[in-house]
Amino acid sequence: MTDRSHARETQPVLQATGVTKRFGGLVAVGDLDLTIMPNQIASVIGPNGAGKTTFFNCISGFYTPEEGEMRFLGHPIQGLRPDQVTARGIARTYQNIHLFKGMTVLENVMVGVHPSLRSTPLGALLRLPLNNIEEDATLTHAYELLDFMGLADVSDVLATNLPYGSQRRLEIARALASDPHLLLLDEPAAGMNPQETEETMHFIRRLRDERDLTVLLIEHDMNVVMNISDQVTVLDYGRKISEGTPEYVQRDPLVIEAYLGTAADEVDVNLLAT
Amino acid sequence: MLQTRTRQFVASAREGTLSGFTVGLIIIFLILLGVPVNLTSIALPLFLLVALIFGVRLARRLREHGIGHLLGNALALGLAAALLVFLFMALINRWQERNIKVNDYFYSVSPQTMTVLSGVPASELFANPARDPLTGAYPEGKPLRTNPMRLTFDSETGLELVDINLVIGGFYGFLIVLILAGLLGVLLVWGFSVARLGDTWKRTRAYLATSPQAHSGLLLLPPVFFALLWLTVGHGTYRAATGTYSTINPIINLGGSAQEVQLLIGFAIILFGLVAVRAARPTDVGLSYRARLALCLGIIAVMIGLGLWRIIGSRTYFLATSKALGGSETISIVLTLAVGALLAVQNIVGLRTPGRFETQLAGTGAILAVLLMPLYLNQGQNDVMTIVGINVMLGLGLNIVVGYAGLLDLGYVAFFALGAYSYAFLSSNQMALGADGKPTGLKFAGNDEMVIKLAGWVPTTMIVTLVVAYLGIRIWRRRPPAVRRPWERQRPLVAYSGRPGGSMTALITVTAILLSALVASLFEGTGLYDRLFSKASPFLVGIIIGTIMSLLSGIALGIPVLRLRGDYLAIVTLGFGEIIRLLFTNLRDYTGGPQGVLEIPRPLPAGATGGVGYLSMVYLVLIGVGVIAFFSLRLKGSRTGRAWSAMKSDEAIAQSVGIHLVQSKLTAFAIGAAFAGIGGVLFAARQRNIYPNDFRLDVSIEVLSLVIIGGMGSVPGVIMGAIALIGVPEVLRQLETYRIMVFGALLVAMVILRPEGLLPAPVVQLRERARSLAQSHYRREGGEV
Ligand SMILES: Nc1ncnc2c1ncn2[C@@H]1O[C@H](COP(=O)(O)OP(=O)(O)OP(=O)(O)O)[C@@H](O)[C@H]1O
Ligand SMILES: [Mg+2]
Repeated sequence: MTDRSHARETQPVLQATGVTKRFGGLVAVGDLDLTIMPNQIASVIGPNGAGKTTFFNCISGFYTPEEGEMRFLGHPIQGLRPDQVTARGIARTYQNIHLFKGMTVLENVMVGVHPSLRSTPLGALLRLPLNNIEEDATLTHAYELLDFMGLADVSDVLATNLPYGSQRRLEIARALASDPHLLLLDEPAAGMNPQETEETMHFIRRLRDERDLTVLLIEHDMNVVMNISDQVTVLDYGRKISEGTPEYVQRDPLVIEAYLGTAADEVDVNLLAT
Repeated sequence: MLQTRTRQFVASAREGTLSGFTVGLIIIFLILLGVPVNLTSIALPLFLLVALIFGVRLARRLREHGIGHLLGNALALGLAAALLVFLFMALINRWQERNIKVNDYFYSVSPQTMTVLSGVPASELFANPARDPLTGAYPEGKPLRTNPMRLTFDSETGLELVDINLVIGGFYGFLIVLILAGLLGVLLVWGFSVARLGDTWKRTRAYLATSPQAHSGLLLLPPVFFALLWLTVGHGTYRAATGTYSTINPIINLGGSAQEVQLLIGFAIILFGLVAVRAARPTDVGLSYRARLALCLGIIAVMIGLGLWRIIGSRTYFLATSKALGGSETISIVLTLAVGALLAVQNIVGLRTPGRFETQLAGTGAILAVLLMPLYLNQGQNDVMTIVGINVMLGLGLNIVVGYAGLLDLGYVAFFALGAYSYAFLSSNQMALGADGKPTGLKFAGNDEMVIKLAGWVPTTMIVTLVVAYLGIRIWRRRPPAVRRPWERQRPLVAYSGRPGGSMTALITVTAILLSALVASLFEGTGLYDRLFSKASPFLVGIIIGTIMSLLSGIALGIPVLRLRGDYLAIVTLGFGEIIRLLFTNLRDYTGGPQGVLEIPRPLPAGATGGVGYLSMVYLVLIGVGVIAFFSLRLKGSRTGRAWSAMKSDEAIAQSVGIHLVQSKLTAFAIGAAFAGIGGVLFAARQRNIYPNDFRLDVSIEVLSLVIIGGMGSVPGVIMGAIALIGVPEVLRQLETYRIMVFGALLVAMVILRPEGLLPAPVVQLRERARSLAQSHYRREGGEV
């Protein structure tokens, strides 16, 4: 664990410069610069339609940005297919949960291990040693992840039959299965009650500390954002309007205006933190 | 008081009447289908069954209404049904009186229909005596056209209800029975509820599930059915001492219907084999070690004993080392024996692992019963089994593409055709007259010099390639790269394997093929080659080449349609299927055109005689199905299978989870196509003459239907689907004309009633295994996870 963080300390995990994504005339993400250092929890916030999810889609390879450059651990990643991006070590979850229906909880996580495996159909047919070792390792790894997420007891349940909160956690487990360096979470606390939100926060910190991860998250719940982020980036109409520590961003008049549509001095600055 | 009663009665009668009309419509439908004419013996029971089912449906409301109430309802049901059918028959009767040819309107309704339903012989029905040409009057004294609607209780002409002596003649008699059936349905349910049979059934099921003896009994059903089959088959015995050959009548003589009943028992053996294997749970532990051992050995001994008796007794020469045998036939026999031996070994091993016994028991019983079954069926019956088996192969292949990977492929028949034509080209003995009047074979056909060379070359290439590739990969070990790129994992999930990369593997393979060509030409120079391979069975070569051809064309089709999904994919693949068929039709010089390729040899040497022909076919198909089913099952639980499953659920998300869509899709197309190719080779070997018309769109649709009806993504489901859609209609040959319609009806019904199919794939249960693996992993890592 330590040697891996060593290797990366010198350079940012993700470095986006001038990323622009347009849909027709609409600039969903405009000229966005973002740098995330290792072992940080970085947040992207902004009003609805600000382009946060679009930015995630650019990173994970669903969209190719028209302009700009994205480097992951120093190597360019724009133009790569989603599966290539995942294989390099970027995993993500979705704003609207997308689990594989018809597969159990355990199988869903096992699919997540896919990029780390090499065995072929022929290996599966003949149960060649590589296949067997990989299958056992996959099963073990997936089960341990579920255990970590507190879902081990429902391993054999169809994923779509889980309650909402568990589905969110399962999606994270699936993302973790590929053993990523960078985890992108799109509104992990959406639709959760305060207690669940509290747990999620705690859990994201644990991910960073125990699993040696860098986390980039989108979140509307300011409580979460202000509590766990090392760095906050605020988007509005696709452009970055502010960036810095939670305390700094919270007091930035531009941010307050974007959120509340009024001049900064008329608003109680603590409103955002509650 | 009276008023409420009346109102209640009217209310209930309305329901009964509605159901009655439905019953009536169904019966009219069945009459229009020609059921009374074509399947005389089951027509009446079928009609009554319909009435009975609706009676039972009515009686579901027993709790709300009293029994008297429901009886009134059932009466209404019978009357309404009878009325409708009566009106229909009256209409037809009227038409026939006016010399309107009913046949022109209702294809399957003939005078015979009336005879069957009314019990009036056809000669009396419409045979009016000639009128007097002058007066236009009928001659006196002669009987006039009989009104078939007469009420008869004439046991001579009546419709027979099964064999028991309940014979009610005439159309009205039939209607009375209809009413009774409705009443019976209600009474049955009432009786059930009074006797609390529902609870008994529940208790029985619980008993079956918990009692080890009963459970083992359930698992042993395939051998039991096999014993039943054995009882209905006559046995030949050969006395070596006297050299006489005599036949013994079957213990249960089924007479004329033996053929069908035996086939159905055969299907039951297969189905219960599937059910038994599935019902076995790894946690089953009930019987003592000795009892288990005895049971296993018992089954094996009895089965093998019966088989040997049959083989030696009837002198089928199946296992005999007759000189007439050789080539692939020997191979199929050896394979069968090997399966049996492996099974026995696995059983003994399985006995040592606690909890595996029941699975072993079910597996042994089922596989042995299925393997021995063909010996006890005659040629026609085995032929049906062969057809079903070929369809199972196609179904399993399509199941990979549609059921596992979710890619709707309607041109699937193309790969089947390619497999069949590959074998046909390689082996056909067909001769045609060339331009110069001398006989020449088809280009590329079996008598072509080049093909014969190719046939010899393929096995050499296969062997040499495998050896060289294996050695190459062993020797060439990839060194770990000196500089690790930052995203490469420090702690990989699986330790570094040192296999060569993709391009290196390709290089090694190409080298191997070139080397093998060199070896082949060297061999040829010495003459050794001729001696070794000139007698290579064309069937073996055919099956290898057919599989490879289909596999490659699967990839070739896969590449252009990679981006298509759903309906678009279905339409493009459909086009592909038609293109292949049209190519085979129009490239006359190469394929023989619409006249097809003829004289394809059986996978046997020329001299083989007796039952060997059809037996070798059915065994080859059984082995093929076994291998393909085994492959399908293993693939399902593998990395590739999971990738397909994820892709089926959501392509974009699967890709973002790290699945290489192109690779996954092409693998699915290739493997599915290869299975179809194997099916095609066997099909060509069975048909002996193949025509482009054997590979119409219907085949794709039929195979898709059997996959859907059986259960998408489920191997036992596909087998069951093939039996239901291909096997059973073969037994009920008379209804063949309506097969497509019945397909349609079944599909709609399945989608509404049981969308997951007859035997859907169970939810994968991996938790126990995962937990024990994780625990041992935890221990190994010394508590650090
Ligand atoms: N595929 C698309 N085609 C066209 N327009 C799109 C597409 N995806 C997103 N947009 C537009 O881009 C803008 C940014 O959308 P995005 O989903 O990134 O917002 P967001 O910040 O994630 O909002 P929310 O907080 O609601 O999730 C929106 O105006 C949206 O309508
Ligand atoms: Mg969003």
